[in-house]
Formats: sequence, structure tokens, C-alpha cells
Amino acid sequence: MIRPVLARRERVLPAVQAFAFLVGIVAALALGLILLWTSGHNPAEVYERMFDSAFMGTDSLSRTLERATPLALTGLSVAVAGSMGLWNIGAEGQMMAGAIVATGVAMMADGLSGPLLIALMIVAGIAGGMVLMLGPALARSHLRVSEIITTLMLVYVAIRVVEWLETGPWKDPDSFGFAVIEPVPEQAALPGLFGRANIGMLIALGLLIVFWLAVSRTAWGYELRLAGSSPDTARYAGVSLRRKILTALLLSGGIAGLAGAVQLTGSAARLDSGLSNGYGFAGIIVAALALMRPSGVAVVAFVFGAVQVGGQSIQTLGVSSAISDILQGMILFGALVAAVLFNYRIRWIGPAVESSGDEPEEPEEPEPAEDAA
Amino acid sequence: MSEAALIGLFVATVQFGTLVFLAALGELIAERAGVLNLGVEGMMAMGAVSGFMVGLETGSPWAAFFAAAAVGALVGGLHALVSVVLGADQVVSGLALTIGGLGLAAYVGRNVVGERPETLFTDLGIAGLADIPWIGEIFFDQPPVVYLTVLLGLAVWFVLARTRLGLAVRAAGESAPTTDTAGHSVMALRSGAVMVGGAFAGAAGSFLSLYMAPGWVEGMVAGRGWIAVALVIFGAWRPGRLALGALLFGFTLALQPRLQSFDIELLGVEVNRISPALLGILPFVLTVAVLVIISWRYRHRPSPAPAALGLPYRREER
Repeated sequence: MIRPVLARRERVLPAVQAFAFLVGIVAALALGLILLWTSGHNPAEVYERMFDSAFMGTDSLSRTLERATPLALTGLSVAVAGSMGLWNIGAEGQMMAGAIVATGVAMMADGLSGPLLIALMIVAGIAGGMVLMLGPALARSHLRVSEIITTLMLVYVAIRVVEWLETGPWKDPDSFGFAVIEPVPEQAALPGLFGRANIGMLIALGLLIVFWLAVSRTAWGYELRLAGSSPDTARYAGVSLRRKILTALLLSGGIAGLAGAVQLTGSAARLDSGLSNGYGFAGIIVAALALMRPSGVAVVAFVFGAVQVGGQSIQTLGVSSAISDILQGMILFGALVAAVLFNYRIRWIGPAVESSGDEPEEPEEPEPAEDAA
Repeated sequence: MSEAALIGLFVATVQFGTLVFLAALGELIAERAGVLNLGVEGMMAMGAVSGFMVGLETGSPWAAFFAAAAVGALVGGLHALVSVVLGADQVVSGLALTIGGLGLAAYVGRNVVGERPETLFTDLGIAGLADIPWIGEIFFDQPPVVYLTVLLGLAVWFVLARTRLGLAVRAAGESAPTTDTAGHSVMALRSGAVMVGGAFAGAAGSFLSLYMAPGWVEGMVAGRGWIAVALVIFGAWRPGRLALGALLFGFTLALQPRLQSFDIELLGVEVNRISPALLGILPFVLTVAVLVIISWRYRHRPSPAPAALGLPYRREER
């Protein structure tokens, strides 16, 4: 007798993941509904407000895009490391480091013309993110220290440094005693596109395309993915794992630093300890949902931008904006579960030759990031 | 620096040490069973807020402590369901737990910010011993959670090292197929370990909100959950070394807010003139430094980590 058996694919296919993402959104909205209901709000009213404020009209859409920009950049940052199985949990801190160095440059070169100053600040941002990543990257490539913990620890360091700069060395003398850093020069504001959206969005989009091409279409990208999925094969093929780990992590840090500079020149106007605003952490969810693919990062970042704008807007209804954090976390959980469930397929096996005639299972992916410490 | 200040420093060292030890002990159990749980920060936040709310409601710190443990176990159960039962990526699931848990804690606790429960844990002067100068105050006049945590540490060591259950748990962390063949359910062992670990983290959270910093504010766990994750590596996955590491980190966490008041000079810099924000980076820099040193020591030797740590196990279909 032939009987059906549930078999599972090892790797999640992009189409499956797209569907899982939708399921995640629905599951999150369902949980949110329960939370809102039990705390005495009208879920329909809240969700309608969220939807309207994120999508209806150019102004709403521009706000969503404004939020999606740093999310896409931090998402890409995490995804670049993730495409070789590494986890950059500290994009939040690298973003801050980028903004710190960019602010420093703006202070020293405030006489420069706009485009030149912006270009300098962006380069400075990239450098800042890379500097904060240097320690974790070297420790990971040469000593196999878990980059998960080291990158995360440096988030707290970067934020504390900003707090220190605010109260001490960079305190704005014209701030009437408030502990704030002076705003970046006017000419350093990124040109706007429409509404609140600015050029930063195009920078993010361009970078996503560049990395999509680099990772999926070049030998460099192939080696990167190979080094992540089968380190032994990569080593045999003459790929230096150490250098690949270093490059991937430093690039990851640099992109997060760039996100800091873009946020500084695009939306924030001045460096403060709230500049990174959780974008770096949300970027982890974005990249995980996108299966570390740049194309997916763009889509997920847009949706998360909308969720965050929506979360802000419902505060006027007396609903805590923490709802949007919960929704983001739940989307990831829901999608994770859905992807696993969808990944089962029915396989028919006969009684005698039980495991013959199987399609070759795709090899399990060994993760180099796991052999920490 | 006065004698009282010095004693205060060591008293706080024991308390901070207890806080991170309890959470790290839970993570150790999960990791010995082969499950990496990066959700400690989220589980602690959930424990802190739920413990605090139960404390407000009941006035009993013990009810709060055990409620927080139950909530921690429940949140850990979510990680077990997703990463052990369904076999999803442990890193992603754990991070989702931290991010979602912090968000949920902030939402649940939004109305109790600034409140103070009537009864908190009180220090337990152990008769006779508490009166010994120095030692008495530091070790024998602490809240009961401190002693409970010491007992839990001993219990975890005993169960892992000396019992059949502990052997099975460790086997699940070293080689899941072997454990399976030996007739144990890897899924049950791992899920159980993750949930017990979650209970420890949740309980640690309530120690924070009901004793160390009474009250609830968003972000009050402030990275201690992550330090607990790092501590497990520092402790080489052994409860004894974990305790030593916890005291070291406890000392740093206790020292940092006090450095301001110390009139000492370090490398030509007067410590009390350094900004508190800069001193705040101390525990985190120490964590990174310690991890690097540990890895340096193991650079030519196999890592002491459980061999199957982070690898999902699925029984082949038959």
C-alpha cells in the first residue's frame, strides 16, 4: 500500500516566504485585535486610522517612505552579513556611530557647499559604522567570537557615547541649558522629493539594487553565499573565509552607518540619543523576513514603514505606540511558523522500498555563525 | 572611600550577580540541551512587568516571583514551539522573542509606570551570621531571592551532572540522534529545558522590578539579558564557572553607578569627573573583552560549547 507522508524542504522558497509573510501580517493583526479589544479600544477604528495614515494620500505615503528608508538600509545591512550566515544584531549602534562621525564632520566643515558636505557626511557615516564593527568583525574572523553578542553590546556603547556628547563636549552653547547637540548646518539637509520623502529613499533603493546584483550576479557574491552555506567547499575552492567574514561584516557595519548619516541629513536635523529609534533592531526582522535577499528587504521595509507610521498615528486615539513593536515581532513569528508549515509537502511512499526513489534532499545548511566562542 | 560605601559596593555586587546568574542559569539549561535562546532580554522584560503587576495586585512578592517565572516559562514555550517543535531557525525565533517581548512588556505595563507595590522583598538577616562585620552584611543580610538562586545553582549543577535526566538533557545538546536512539524524546527534553530556562529568566526579571529597581519602566532590563547570554559562554557552559562570571559582572554593574562618588585617580584621570554616560559603557565593553579573551584561550582547542547547540533536530520520516 502506498501511504502519504509529510516531508519537508530544507530551504524556504521565496514564493513560500512571500505567502508566509502575508500569513504573518494576518496573524499579527489578529493578535493586535485581541490586545486592542481587551484593553477597551475599537480595533476597527484603530486599524482604519493606521491604514489611512500610512497609505491614503501622498502625504501619508511620503511618511511611510520616510520610515521605510532607514528600515531598508538597516535591513540591507543585516542581510549582507546574513547572506553568509552571520548576524549583525548591532545595526542600531552602527547607525549611531555613523551619525556621530557625520555630525563631527559637519561641525568641522560647516562652511562647505551643500552637496559636498552631504557627500562627506555620508562617507563619514559609512566609516563610523565600519569602525564600530571593526572589533566584532576581527574577533569573529580570527577568533570565532560570536558576532551576535559583540555587535549587540556595542549598541549600548554607541548610545552612551551620544549621551555623553550631548551633555558634555558637543553640547550646544545656544541651547538655553538643554543637553542637545547643535543641529547640522542647513545646507546639509538632504533634498526632498515629495511630502516628507527625501533623496535618502533613492540612496537606499540604489544600494538595494547594487547589492542585489552583487550578491546574486557576481563571482564575489557567489563566493560570499558559498562561504556561508558550505565553508569547507569554499575553503577548498580557495576562498579565504577570514576575508569573506571581514568583508561581509564591515560592509554590513558600513551600510548601517550610512543609514545613520542618511537619517541625520534626511529627517533628524540633529544628533540625539533617539536618532536610531529602533530602526537597527527592526532591520533584523526586516532582513529575516526577506530571507536576506535585497529584493525582499525593499518590500518588507515598506510594509514595516507603514506599520510604524500607523503605530504613531494611533497615539491620538489613546493607543500606545508599543502596538507597532508587537505587530512587527508577531509578523516575524507568524511568518516563521507559516514558512515551516508551508514547507511540508506530501510525499507518497510504498511499503517495501521505503526510502528509495526520494528526490535528493537539499543539504542542510551549516551555519558558520553558530560555532561561537 | 568610606567603609560603608565599600560594603555597599559588595552588597550590590552580590545582588547584581544574582540577577545575571539567575537569568544565565536558565540560558545554560537551554543551551546544554542544544537550544540557543536569544530571547532572554525579552523574557526578563516580560517577567519584570508581570511580576511587578502581580506584586501590585496581591502585595505578595513571592506570588509575583512565581507568576513572573510562569510567564517566563510561557514565553520560553513560544520559542520552544517555534524552534524546537517546528524546527525554525533558533536565532531568528530568539530575536523575535526579544523584540516582541520588549514591545509586549511595554504595552502591558503602560498603565503601571511610576507605581510602587506596598510590599517588596525584604532583606533576610540570617540569625547570628548577619552580625559578622563585613561578611555578615554582604552575604547574610540579602533578600531571599539571593539564597534561592544559590540553591537553584546547586540544584542545576546536581541535576545536570549527577542524574539520568541531566545526562539525557546534555545528550540532547551533544547529539540529538543518539539521544533519540537511546529512547529519549529530544523534543520533550529540549522544550522542557527552554521552558525551565524561561522561568529562570522571568523570575530574574521580577527580582529586578520588585527589589533592585522597584517599579516598572520600559527598557529597565537594559541589556542585562544579553549579558546573561554572554555569561554562559564565559562560564564555558558550567554552573560553577557561571557563578564566578556572574560575580565579576555583578561587580562591574554595581561599580558603574558608584564610580561617580569615588574620590580616586585612575591613569591620571579623576574618576569622579568622568561622565556617568561614559562609565555606563563599562559592563558592555567588559563583556566584549571577556568574550575575546575566552576565545583567545580556546583558539587551538575545540570550543566547550555543546556540539549540537543551535542545530534543529527533526526525526527522519519513516
